Amino acid sequence: MFSEQARKTAGQCRHYAMCKIDYLGNGLCPSGEKNHYVSHFPQGRMDIYHALCRGLVPISRGLVEIADSCDLCGICDKQCHFVTGMRPVEVMRALKAHVRDWLDQGNQPVFAGFDLDLEELRRIVGQKWASNDPAILLTYADDPFPLAGMRTPRYVVLPRTRKEVAALVRFANDRNLPYVVRGNGGSVFGFVFSDGLIMDMNRMKGIEIDPENWTARVEPGVTSFELQKEAVRHGLRANTAEPAATVCGNIVCTGLFSTWSNAYGVNADTFVDMEFIDSQGNFFRLNDPGTINAFCFEHKMKPSPGICTLAHVRLHPTSEDEEGLMVPFEDFEEAVVFARELSKRRIGLAVGVLGGHYLSTFMSPSADLADKVRFGLTNALGLRYVVFMIGDRYACEAVRSMHEFVIDSKLFRMLMLGLPRMGDDEWLDLVSGMQTDQPPYAILLSPEMHSLLEAVLRPSPQTAALAVDEDLQGFYEKLYARPEMTDMVWLNMFRIISARMSRRKHMFAFLVYVPLNRVEVTEQICTELGRIADKYGIEHDYGFLTPLDLGKRAILEYDYYIDHQDSLEKEKIRKAQQEFEPYLDNLSARTKGVKWLKYLFSQGCARKEAFLYT
Amino acid sequence: MTIPYHNQHTFLVTGGTGFLGSHVAMSLLSRGHQVLVLARGRNGRTAPQRMDRILDWFGLRKEQRLGLKVLQGDLNEPGLGLGAQDAGIVAGEAYEIVHCASDTSFSSRKREQVEKTNVLGLENLLNVIHKSKCRGFHLISTAYVAGRRSGLCAEGFDQAVEFHNVYEETKFRAEGIISEYCTQNSLNLHVYRPSIVYGNSSTGKTTLFNALYFPIRTLHFFQKLYARDILEFGGKKAREMGVRLDNDGVLHLPLRIQSSDECGLNLIPVNHFVEAFMAIRQGCPEGGVFHIVNPQRTTINRLADYTQRFFKLDGIRIAEPEEFVKQPRNGLEILFNNHIRYYSPYMQDKRIFENFRTSAILAGKNIACPEFSYPVFAICMDYALETDWGRLL
Repeated sequence: MFSEQARKTAGQCRHYAMCKIDYLGNGLCPSGEKNHYVSHFPQGRMDIYHALCRGLVPISRGLVEIADSCDLCGICDKQCHFVTGMRPVEVMRALKAHVRDWLDQGNQPVFAGFDLDLEELRRIVGQKWASNDPAILLTYADDPFPLAGMRTPRYVVLPRTRKEVAALVRFANDRNLPYVVRGNGGSVFGFVFSDGLIMDMNRMKGIEIDPENWTARVEPGVTSFELQKEAVRHGLRANTAEPAATVCGNIVCTGLFSTWSNAYGVNADTFVDMEFIDSQGNFFRLNDPGTINAFCFEHKMKPSPGICTLAHVRLHPTSEDEEGLMVPFEDFEEAVVFARELSKRRIGLAVGVLGGHYLSTFMSPSADLADKVRFGLTNALGLRYVVFMIGDRYACEAVRSMHEFVIDSKLFRMLMLGLPRMGDDEWLDLVSGMQTDQPPYAILLSPEMHSLLEAVLRPSPQTAALAVDEDLQGFYEKLYARPEMTDMVWLNMFRIISARMSRRKHMFAFLVYVPLNRVEVTEQICTELGRIADKYGIEHDYGFLTPLDLGKRAILEYDYYIDHQDSLEKEKIRKAQQEFEPYLDNLSARTKGVKWLKYLFSQGCARKEAFLYT
Repeated sequence: MTIPYHNQHTFLVTGGTGFLGSHVAMSLLSRGHQVLVLARGRNGRTAPQRMDRILDWFGLRKEQRLGLKVLQGDLNEPGLGLGAQDAGIVAGEAYEIVHCASDTSFSSRKREQVEKTNVLGLENLLNVIHKSKCRGFHLISTAYVAGRRSGLCAEGFDQAVEFHNVYEETKFRAEGIISEYCTQNSLNLHVYRPSIVYGNSSTGKTTLFNALYFPIRTLHFFQKLYARDILEFGGKKAREMGVRLDNDGVLHLPLRIQSSDECGLNLIPVNHFVEAFMAIRQGCPEGGVFHIVNPQRTTINRLADYTQRFFKLDGIRIAEPEEFVKQPRNGLEILFNNHIRYYSPYMQDKRIFENFRTSAILAGKNIACPEFSYPVFAICMDYALETDWGRLL
């Protein structure tokens, strides 16, 4: 018997791999930490349970071991709830119960079979680190990307060293076996699948900081979160992508970008050198004379230069007086112009334009609260967009002198810790009823109002925790008592709340480089993507925009939201693809400064000048 | 031309789910008229569902609703967003139009939206009725189209002046548009100009809790907020604002309201407005402009007294503008001020609205505007609390 509720939850795993990093400081899934395969992390068990319910995987020896290795410690419940609102423990429990019942009935688990090639792989990476068990393979076969199907590999291997990776390439070549490399398994674009061999880099976690050069050498299994943690320990900062994404994988795939890219750049700006293994199993570095030119850009889909085995990335200095500020706007164009002005004048490090949707979702510990708060922020307060900036005290002073209304770190903390009361109907009615020439936020967020706001919101970790299930409130109280959880600088460095964007549904993100001096181009892209989404009944919203290269260019994110388990929703996006793909292709080909990220795939090492100014 | 009035006429009422529109529609229906109501669907409810709820609220009997037909549309859309069949009904049946739909926002930030409803919406309506059998037009306007002037404001069309806000301006423009249209098309035109309308003076019932209600609601919110702070959280936030709870249960809420005691608000209850509307329509079929106002203004001091007495508050007082220069507003006063700022021209009102024509008609029918006394205030506040300021409606 399968639990319907557990099946539903299992099917909704977003594959963000947040259960594979200790981003809440409450530990990692012990089984995953020990075994490293995706299958041994909650993400893998969710996939396995969902596949079991659909009869897609037999109960194998591996599956029994995977189920048994979960001790129901509950760490994943907290981790997953923080970003998705889901509670995976019920799935873990259901999986264990199902397997135990099945065995109790006298059934024997399936043995994957003896395989000479597997033995050879085990000789390269060690007995434990190569597998052809169907349960393990299943967890490397699919992701929530709606436009790709399932592809089950023959083997999964977890190399530990660069030499092992080279040996694996030669092994695959000898047998004409296709292979792909997978970073942390946080895949959402349907790219990292193969019928042959999958190399999971999860065991290659080496980080070596060079404090003199402000650089770090990172192995391909190192995630952004882990690098940032290590960089911070040395008083430095990395320009990082999503916390669970691997640094090497990110650079090679699309190039690194974040709100810090305003100051730290993108793509080739972010590293000093990269080491690869080519298709013959030979090592090369991008800085080697006579090697392939990975710094150029071609407006077409290209393969990556090889398997990245080391990224020598740049780190950046920090100062103790850094603070995050948010400048509210009612109008998108005004917000963009302000962000461009900051970038042009070199004010601030991280800069971005966020909409009410992102802001409320990032700040809210639950999806329901996010919806309420979004209404409160945008409709009642008139706070439709914010320009978000992190800078030192000189940058903050400059921003304050440029704009009258600013949400500083103290006010942000108050809002975040009082958020459940921000959505209070009576309070919102009162605020909505104000008839003012200024946007209501200009009045409500003024310093004179802080005492009243505090009385209304009663900000505290206890208040913030009111937004979540009762049994999790104690955990959230402790979590929100930690200063970094309401610190804009920390949150933006470690980016642990950005995965909340997929809390309601899987997010299908469009990332497009745009010319920032032509706001109308950005507005047109948003309008057109919105129009297409509306036509096919797809939920959609503006994401964010970050200025680059002194305000000349920017990267824009616009998002569609779909239930990736709903075949109707998949069909909608398939139809929409017939329109958005040619639209963005044409725009990328014809409009200066516009480049859809699709063309950057596997060209992430390119110099930004090679694709932003063509 | 004068319209002969009888019950077979069909009225088209716009804004029929709104505050004044619903009262007018209700009154027409209860007198046995045929009424077409133009209304939008909203919050998951169709226009007929919304209208049904309103009529339930009025307690209108089912048989009295037989003359009603609800047309789902939108004044802001060309053709009023009506389908061909409904547009045909309007053209073929509507004999008199009662145009109540209006956007009452004062904020210049909402200019586009207010213009769209109050000016373009009227033009959309006129385009639809242009080839209809309509012979009379009733425009619900406002006494405050008088704009920035002092002294006597004529009960007739006057020259444009400066306006206090976009609402006044657009209602003035709407009067101009309809006046020209009716002259060109030989239609009877009644323009009704009420002052500030509050709930029913006998029952306190209302569907709208803005204008008079919002500032009082703000004070009530402060009262609950700080009473809770004192009783449950030790009162730190209350002390910061000088708020205290006295032994007799009265909350001391020191709050200054910028005003003077010479002037005050011109308030009329909605039941008086409806009575006056019906009387004028019948008593003066040739049309004209009519000020429906209260001969007595209510001073802010009196309103503050009523509020303190009803809600068990003290500390609220009137202050001269200079006082706010010496001692800037605190958070409570800033928020409160933002709820009354747009009403300050009406709080300081020294305009006298001429109403010879209206009062002559009303006097003939023994209709007088009820005084805004404490019992009337109390009954209105009882209803406001009973419905949680409309949230439970």
